[in-house]
Amino acid sequence: MGKFLLLAFRNVFRNRRRTIMTLIMVGGGVAGLLLVGGFFARMFWGLRESTINDGLGHIQIFTAEHFNREEKHVLDTGIDNWRQVAATASTGGHVRGVAPRIEFYGMLSNGVKSGVFMGSAVDPVAESSLGFSPRLAAGRDLDSKPSGETEALIGIGVARSMNVKPGDGLTLLAVTSDGALNGIDVQIVGLVNTGFKEVDDRYLRITLPSAQRLLQSDRVTNLVVGLDKTENTDMVAAELAPRLRGLPQQLVLKKWIDLAAYYKQVRSLFSTIFVFLGVIVFFMVLMSSVNTLLMTMFERTREIGTMLAMGTPRSWIMALFVVEATLLGIMGAIVGVVGGNLLGFLLNHAGLHLPPPPGTTVPMAFRVLFVPSLMIGSSILVVVSLALAAIFPAIRASRLQIAEALAHV
Amino acid sequence: MNDLAELDEIAELVRVDAVTRRFPLDHSYVSALDNVNLRVAPGEFLAIAGPSGSGKSTLLNLIGCIDKPTSGHILIDGVDTSTLNPARMTALRREKIGFVFQTFNLIPVFTAAENVEFPLLVQGFSSGERRQRVAAALESVGLSARANHRPDLLSGGERQRVAVARAIVHRPALVLADEPTANLDTRNATQLIDLMHDLNRRFGLTFIFSTHDQRLLEHTDRIVRLTDGQVVADTLTAESIIPQNLSQGASHGQVLASRL
Repeated sequence: MGKFLLLAFRNVFRNRRRTIMTLIMVGGGVAGLLLVGGFFARMFWGLRESTINDGLGHIQIFTAEHFNREEKHVLDTGIDNWRQVAATASTGGHVRGVAPRIEFYGMLSNGVKSGVFMGSAVDPVAESSLGFSPRLAAGRDLDSKPSGETEALIGIGVARSMNVKPGDGLTLLAVTSDGALNGIDVQIVGLVNTGFKEVDDRYLRITLPSAQRLLQSDRVTNLVVGLDKTENTDMVAAELAPRLRGLPQQLVLKKWIDLAAYYKQVRSLFSTIFVFLGVIVFFMVLMSSVNTLLMTMFERTREIGTMLAMGTPRSWIMALFVVEATLLGIMGAIVGVVGGNLLGFLLNHAGLHLPPPPGTTVPMAFRVLFVPSLMIGSSILVVVSLALAAIFPAIRASRLQIAEALAHV
Repeated sequence: MNDLAELDEIAELVRVDAVTRRFPLDHSYVSALDNVNLRVAPGEFLAIAGPSGSGKSTLLNLIGCIDKPTSGHILIDGVDTSTLNPARMTALRREKIGFVFQTFNLIPVFTAAENVEFPLLVQGFSSGERRQRVAAALESVGLSARANHRPDLLSGGERQRVAVARAIVHRPALVLADEPTANLDTRNATQLIDLMHDLNRRFGLTFIFSTHDQRLLEHTDRIVRLTDGQVVADTLTAESIIPQNLSQGASHGQVLASRL
């Protein structure tokens, strides 16, 4: 077996130029997959972290009725004793903090013109302790002092539509828990650019006391739990769920992935693109390798005839070709992994930026992640591709007529 | 010159009975061999001579079990090859026959020793046995010092001697050589002829080779002449060196094993 492998190994290097070309082709395929896959992985990672850090948090706590409610009044299904729930959640390991929220909607007016808003009421201290800070385009964030109770942040689209700027005032109108229409005046302290035009055109953020005054309720919609690492989400959620069951109100946990619809859509789309790329690379390697291996087989026809004449089983000849191709695939994969990582390193340090992705307004830094599973997967892909490519030439070689093969020129 | 009838009295290693081999050509057939009969005893040093296209290589291919006759039978060591399936045919070639080719046909990425080792590898010999036999085979062809050289670093004569070592290393009953001196100069051709003849005499190895090389024919005990696919002459040119014990029916393999 050792000698047989040695023969296969030496055969790989018989025509060095051709081997090098094949290695470049196979390695190029692997490197290409690593760069694209690494870029996608970095994009997924960036999108995941920005989704979480933009306020989604790692875990959110809602009442059980929240997802079955008929949206009559915003806080009908809110959390009553939210301070107790927040305290319970805060005591778990890996928890950095808990921030109460009220997600609500209503109308805003500058006295001349009215518009719709999708509002979020927050505790600025709790938010900043979790690292959640709005992407300010102008002005400043909300103040946690009592004077900040009438402050508001609005999206740049709202500001444009209402023709207002930091320092100007707006009136907010919403339906209270009792079903009455209520209104409060707020002062704009900053403009927010989320990167998503549709969001910026409806964005409003005020403090929790302001919203509770507007909605005439002490409840909150949800509690956002921030963790030290995203990777700990499943563990903390599993540990927290039973502890919440002991509280008076029936509550449910939602992990960030359950709430990040946009992230999931992006990931699904780009994963499909990546699979498509993988299929292209697979067939590219397969077809060009079949050609190369057939050429090799024709060049060695007389040698194969000699081996068959000496009584070498035809299965050995087949195995020899498949082993040679597999070795070529393994070497190509190594070249690809080394080359891809090197290229990725250089690109990461080149300071490249890409145009803003669809739906966003912020240019994206070009970064490639080094993903071990991607390296293994891409390597397996090309090795399998080459081994499959060898089957047809191997069958042809093993079926050669000995007398004809020996007379081959 | 000896009487050919004497050969009927001894054991047969190869028997060719009324063998015809036709090849398709366009819409008809061309006959490469036509009703050929031949008997070869163990230990013979036999040349198949004839002009190009006379059927020499075809006859060697048929005896070597790498081609099948259109009609007729070929028996190797008493086994009718026409009754064998491909796997048993391969096994017969592997165990009983050694090949020497006109163009040497060494595996270029293997050293001389590795080339000689290859038939043993195919037959599943242990590494210790392989090492021992390869060393003995290379020594018998005078190439022990060149064991670790690859074919591209060997002369034509040396390559053909490696090919001979490869053909005899597994102690076959029969060595077939197709035009073994055709690609060699006179000095190397003479050395090769002497070597093969020496192996024939020392170990009782049966050699059948095709040739039209007069240098080789001068050293041959028996010459079978072919013309247009038919045997036109079968003559003994020297004193037969057939070992006595083989003629009395001893196993050819046993004798070789004891000598090589």
